[in-house]
Amino acid sequence: MTIRRASTERELDESGSVATERPWNVIVWNDPVTPMAVVVVVFRRIFGYPEAKCTQLMLIVHHEGRAVVWTGGRERAESYCVKLQVAGLQSTVERDA
Amino acid sequence: MAPRLFTRRRDGRIEVRLSADGRAFVGATAREVVAAEGDVGHAWGAALHAPIDPGRDADDPLAILSRQSDLASNAELVLATLEEATLTDAEAWAWFCTLQVALRSIAVANGLLDDDAWSAQSGPLVEHVQTIQALLFELARVL
Repeated sequence: MTIRRASTERELDESGSVATERPWNVIVWNDPVTPMAVVVVVFRRIFGYPEAKCTQLMLIVHHEGRAVVWTGGRERAESYCVKLQVAGLQSTVERDA
Repeated sequence: MAPRLFTRRRDGRIEVRLSADGRAFVGATAREVVAAEGDVGHAWGAALHAPIDPGRDADDPLAILSRQSDLASNAELVLATLEEATLTDAEAWAWFCTLQVALRSIAVANGLLDDDAWSAQSGPLVEHVQTIQALLFELARVL
């Protein structure tokens, strides 16, 4: 016997498609005292990005005041945000626009 | 060429070449982070208790607990390894995070939130910040 949730059937019937949840962005904000080399090291150790990508993200933070450094599910976004804050960078999460 | 304050050895450990004064400076900084983490009224509170999601009324308590625990344990690890001749990679990372947390906390507590505010500063505060920055530069080279 197959059990299906009534709400799921109704949602499928009404929309004809299943909408996926919008992802969450991890944002790092600029500040005038944190050395650029520090930001690069933090990105490399927390996300495991290559040096060139870390440098590119650091420059976006420096020039634009903020950068999206990771995008994905909410729990992992919050976890990354906590790690960045523990490493001393100003970081927040926000839903992708 | 100026001598390096931290060097990574072949066995992977990081040699600490700080003077007694340098170690005392790092120790005082770590003690301040521990004190600030345990006191919500501390001058560094605004930086240490920043919201994770400003769009929500309340942040996830588990995420906040994780941050508080990691901040305090990093700073405590610094104090526990303050007199060591060499550090493991994880211990050096704890030193790095603690110094950076202190740097950002000092910036927030003193309103140094943009380049103009920073440029207008002088005296002991600038020297203090520059000392932390120098230690961070040196640690960044070996991490």
